[in-house]
Amino acid sequence: MKTKRRTSPRRTQPKHVLDKVSDAAPEAIIEMRGVVKKFSNAAGEFTVLKGVDLMIDRGEFVSIVGKSGSGKSTLLNMITGIDHPTSGQVIVNHNDIYTGVSESARSKWRGKNLGIVFQFFQLLPMLTLLENVMLPMDYVDLYDFDERPKRAMELLTLVGLEKFANKLPILVSTGQQQLAAIARAMACDPPLLIADEPTGNLDTRSSDTIIGLFEHFVQQGKTIVMVTHDPSLTSRTHRNIIISDGELIDETISRGLPQLRHRHMLEFTKLAEHKIYQPQETIVSRDEKLNHFYIIRKGEVEVVLQKQRSKETILSRLGMNEFFGEAELLRGGKSIANVRAGKTSVEVLAIPRDDYNRVMAESPITMEAVSKIVQKRLQEHRMADPRSGRK
Amino acid sequence: MSIPIVEIVNVSKTYSTAAGDFPALKNINLTVNKGEFLGVVGKSGAGKSTLLNMINGVDELTSGEVLVHSDGRRVSVHHLNEDEKALWRGRTMGVVYQSFQLLPMLTLVENITLPMDLAGNFKPRESREKAMELLRLVEIEEHAEKLPALISGGQQQRVAIARALANDPDILVADEPTGSLDSVTADHIFDVFSRLVAERGKTIVMVTHDMGLKSRFTRCLTLVDGELQNEVKMETKTKGRRKS
Repeated sequence: MKTKRRTSPRRTQPKHVLDKVSDAAPEAIIEMRGVVKKFSNAAGEFTVLKGVDLMIDRGEFVSIVGKSGSGKSTLLNMITGIDHPTSGQVIVNHNDIYTGVSESARSKWRGKNLGIVFQFFQLLPMLTLLENVMLPMDYVDLYDFDERPKRAMELLTLVGLEKFANKLPILVSTGQQQLAAIARAMACDPPLLIADEPTGNLDTRSSDTIIGLFEHFVQQGKTIVMVTHDPSLTSRTHRNIIISDGELIDETISRGLPQLRHRHMLEFTKLAEHKIYQPQETIVSRDEKLNHFYIIRKGEVEVVLQKQRSKETILSRLGMNEFFGEAELLRGGKSIANVRAGKTSVEVLAIPRDDYNRVMAESPITMEAVSKIVQKRLQEHRMADPRSGRK
Repeated sequence: MSIPIVEIVNVSKTYSTAAGDFPALKNINLTVNKGEFLGVVGKSGAGKSTLLNMINGVDELTSGEVLVHSDGRRVSVHHLNEDEKALWRGRTMGVVYQSFQLLPMLTLVENITLPMDLAGNFKPRESREKAMELLRLVEIEEHAEKLPALISGGQQQRVAIARALANDPDILVADEPTGSLDSVTADHIFDVFSRLVAERGKTIVMVTHDMGLKSRFTRCLTLVDGELQNEVKMETKTKGRRKS
């Protein structure tokens, strides 16, 4: 369609500004507080999100993964305002996007604050790529009228599509359609880009181009939140959030024990006790019977051997997402060394021994990975501890 | 009396690829009459989408001519320049694809008013009234203020059809419009198309790989390797139901 490109009167005085939230975290661009989403159908009520708390900081590149039906697209729809939570609060760019906000006010606000990319591109078939990229600028009436084609062309050049600017979407490849959709998402220079399976329909090469483009935007200070199935993409993001059955898995657990099944990760998330230790405070004493498996959330611990009448030896220092206690649990329950907080305070997650053993029995791959680390630690221990020869 | 609305005359389309020239359409001759619901069936790669792209002028032909009679004019589509072609297409042809391509952040009614506002054919209030009328036509008016994510795939395709009708074109071209829908939902979409032909006098050209849909068209052609094979006039016409 050749457009005459006028803005309609109802677009001339848009309300882009929602009320600021006074207690929003300063660095956070997204805060979800206790978000619940229920759907009702003929079969009854179904809870898709079960009280999600999530904070994403400005400038982060975050992937969200989860099995089909886990609630990941619903989670994104809560952030974009495409769907509404049943209860809870969603704060995006310091604005509470649901409380007392009309659909049209949210729509205008979204146009300026969010870029959205979908698996199936959603380009308007009757408009050229250039016209598709100009759409958001027309919709929120941003940038001077004459400036819009120039800006759209710059964005198409950025994604490598300048030669195709005047083609209709159907005449370019699916990868190129997605690149145009990304250019469109960035049309109003939003601080936040939300992408739902952006490479789900593309070949490896096109996927690689798109993830490279996302990295470029992140370097420029944009925040990107992306739902994906593709492990080659999640490895390139700063954070990988896993959703399982409508609940978020603790990221310390998913990073520390990545081989676990999602349902086991979720189980550990619910069972884990958060503990904080002051600098140099003992967490586990040698020969003490251990009742927990520990993963470090924040800070550093020291694994120490106190030799008789001699100085202590620090066997190893363990940092974020590393674990301890596993060798002991696997070998009968007694600690083989002292473990204490490092020079700063340390936060750990403690998982009860029986639960740990039960889950390990069901997850041989995790057991194997943990066992390799155990072997390495025991080797270090034997080398350092004169008593170990007696065992 | 049959009144021709689209005439495809000796149309060939050859793509140049690294592996050499590939003839996608070979000397096609076809007349589509006003008020027809024409189906073109064929396997993947037979040239179906290329044929549609020749009719609506989205792609260039290698040789031949496409004539379209609409609004009292007879237009040789491929003799228009790009700007003229885009304007002509916006007024004359609605397009419906397999993927609905609705803008997820706009409500259903906004998805339909958007092309109207862009084309500038209606005042804002008029475009909204017209959009609501179209939503009524495809029987989805009650969901007008919802976002696309909240309705089913079949309902989204209805909205895409309503959007294709936004500027009241005489002709609809549809490329596998039921390709991603289950058979019951596909049947409902066919009902919508049939009504547009019977009640609104629209002409529809649809391509599909699904041979089982043949009975739903008023006429059905088969495309094999870029050539039209045979012509079957469907006696059951628009009331024929797809056998599942």
